[in-house]
Amino acid sequence: MTTTDLDEPARSRFSAHTTEFTLAGIAALGYVVLAATTHGSVLSGDTITAILRFLAVPMMVGLSQMAVLAVGQMNLSVGVLTGFTAMASAWLMVQVGLPAWLAVAGGVLIGAGIGLVNGLIVVFTRINGFVVTLATMTIIDGLRFGVHGTGTYQHYSAGLVALGQGAVLGVPDVFILAVLVAVAVAVFFRRAALGRQLLASGGNPFAARLSGVSNDRSLVIAHLISGLLAGVAGVITVALSGSVNATVGDDLLLPSFAAPIIGGVALAGGVVSVVGTCLAALIVRLVDVAQAQYSINPEWVDLIIGAVVLGAVLVTQLRLGRRRRGR
Amino acid sequence: MTFVAEKLVKTFPGVRALDGATLELAPGSVHALLGENGAGKSTLIKIITGVYQPDGGRIVLPDGREARFGGPHDAQRAGIGVVHQERNLIPAFSVAENIALSAVPKRLGFVDRTAMRDIARRCLAEFDVRLDVDAPVHTLSVAQMQLVEIAKALAVDSNVLLLDEPTASLTAEEADHLFTVVRRLRAANRSVVLVSHKLEEVFAVADTVTVLRDGRSIAEARPLADYTRDQIVDLMVGRTHQVVELTRSDVDVTATPALELSGVDTAAGHRDVSLAVRPGEIVGMYGLVGAGRSELARAILGLDRITAGTVRVHGAPVRIGSVRDAVHDHRIGYVTENRKEEGVFLEQPLTRNIAVTVWRRIARLGMIRRRDEEDLVRTYADRLGMRIAGPAQLAGQLSGGNQQKLSLAKWLAADCDILVIDEPTVGIDVRTRAAFHDLIAGLAGTGVAILLISSDLPEMITMADRILVMSDYRIVGEVANDHRYEPTSQAVIRMIHAATPASA
Repeated sequence: MTTTDLDEPARSRFSAHTTEFTLAGIAALGYVVLAATTHGSVLSGDTITAILRFLAVPMMVGLSQMAVLAVGQMNLSVGVLTGFTAMASAWLMVQVGLPAWLAVAGGVLIGAGIGLVNGLIVVFTRINGFVVTLATMTIIDGLRFGVHGTGTYQHYSAGLVALGQGAVLGVPDVFILAVLVAVAVAVFFRRAALGRQLLASGGNPFAARLSGVSNDRSLVIAHLISGLLAGVAGVITVALSGSVNATVGDDLLLPSFAAPIIGGVALAGGVVSVVGTCLAALIVRLVDVAQAQYSINPEWVDLIIGAVVLGAVLVTQLRLGRRRRGR
Repeated sequence: MTFVAEKLVKTFPGVRALDGATLELAPGSVHALLGENGAGKSTLIKIITGVYQPDGGRIVLPDGREARFGGPHDAQRAGIGVVHQERNLIPAFSVAENIALSAVPKRLGFVDRTAMRDIARRCLAEFDVRLDVDAPVHTLSVAQMQLVEIAKALAVDSNVLLLDEPTASLTAEEADHLFTVVRRLRAANRSVVLVSHKLEEVFAVADTVTVLRDGRSIAEARPLADYTRDQIVDLMVGRTHQVVELTRSDVDVTATPALELSGVDTAAGHRDVSLAVRPGEIVGMYGLVGAGRSELARAILGLDRITAGTVRVHGAPVRIGSVRDAVHDHRIGYVTENRKEEGVFLEQPLTRNIAVTVWRRIARLGMIRRRDEEDLVRTYADRLGMRIAGPAQLAGQLSGGNQQKLSLAKWLAADCDILVIDEPTVGIDVRTRAAFHDLIAGLAGTGVAILLISSDLPEMITMADRILVMSDYRIVGEVANDHRYEPTSQAVIRMIHAATPASA
């Protein structure tokens, strides 16, 4: 009630950074444990390359979800949208005969376009984004099969597939791309005026409105960015696998939420962490690696990830509760 | 050259918040906007700053143009800055970014952090405040946040600056700094509007005054020097209220209190709260918005932690850990202020709304018979004079007054003998209001102990046997209510105005 209480604030300010340190620590520890218990097999260059190669898509879908969480929304269509854009860009190459770079750009643009539509529906109908994207998820799921039925596209651009398999000094090309995109997203939310407006809308919509920020615009742009990043995830999938079918994206919805939630992104909006989201994606990836290394029943992986997500939410809530009581 | 908001009217469902209020601001002056709780001050400010659109009247800007504000940004562009009573900061953003938020300096679409920090430092320096401009706002104390809000209003180059209770959480020293800035703004030929319930500071800095009562301006832009403090209080309170006589039986003052608090501190911030409500007694708790009344009710009901002191129910010390305890073990009911969100399940039939508190009791082998529920509805609809179509009607289809009765019926069904009633007649028409007052008095007549929270002074004086005055999470005094409006209301208002500067 009274004036300056510097003790409590100082602590909660510090804790904002500790999420990322903690995650980095957990990732490092997990890796060391993996290395020790598998007689160093995860230390080989090839294994490291593989770990990073298949980290690219989880990073992108995590950031895609993070973009809408920033404004306090959710996007349930991230997974199927990734699959749809993958199918769409493969279709552009195989059926339409477009060069690879045009098909890639097309896939990303389609993702952004669908994200834009999500955002516009949310703004114009005033229906909760969760419900809107639940509906569009179902529609896109249908569209995904509409592209080529249950068929598989393969033998598309050899150059693109080579890029997907390529690496620079053991660092996969697709991972480098993902890191570049993540840096761009981080800069957007940290420095760009538009990114700050998104976070203002998410943090306190009324205050944002009083300061002349258009919350509607923030919602639309957040959904657009989310769609765009799902599109990037889609084309990375095309490059990675050499063949795609309509089941791509089926298993991406949980990871898309897991990464930002474990990474310290506020579900209520207003707080994002690109580093946290990417580190959390890495941790989830390590769980996958562990499953392969120890030949654990794959069902346990979902159980572990689910438990970690629940734990992360619980920790956030406890922290928020403490802060609120401090007032 | 003056800014005029003329004959503003604003209606909300069931309430006419503003009914012809006029505010006229001369440049180079500090204008006090005064009025009781609910007189319409905040609504007036929200219209002037573009948050609400008026239903009638007009706003004329200093340059002679008539203003139509589609939103807050329009008002800002017209040169109107404001510090609202509620906190309006982005928690995760830095002090600097919050201050510069409405005009973020940009370079090529990117935030120019250096320029942003400069703006923030300049605005804070204007009233000698030193804060780390890079600290996230959620790490600040409430008082520091208030300072950021003021700096934020100063960042917008405004001709008219509205301050709604700006010193509510400031120390005396910080408030002094603020008033230095206010005087500096006046010297720079700006208009400053000060809304405050601390009459000392009003008399210290303001030149002119507008007093609102019941949504009307009853003193318009008069020189403050023409009034004494007592005259201002008289104006705010008015003489128009007729106190309705209610038939009440005398309370047995020797009886063991049904509810007694002694030296209670709460996690919400109450200090040393003591009070007693005897069976059949209506004890009023009056205070300004934010004084901590509802918060105390929540603590009594087990919704917030009590950190010190004792609570006794019928003489026995108790620990109430949850509303479930309060209802089932101690028979304390809470008729909430916010009935739409907390008191009534709008999408549910009346049966469920009333029976929810007693399901455990009327269940047979864990099953609830519809007949039992319907009987309950008929009993209480009858007893409370509710107009209903039938037990299966949805609560949302009832009028506001009947919804309020419904939320009361629920607790009567639970056989509560202690009721905490929070703002029972907000948004209810006059006739229903009188019926409701009768009802509450009737309940007290049957021996129910009632703690009545209200921001409506006439209601308080009509209903209460005694009035406790709460300010800043403490009880600052008690007024024995003789049901005469003038002396009692003035005693209460004086108690509030005497209490606040000391606690600052």
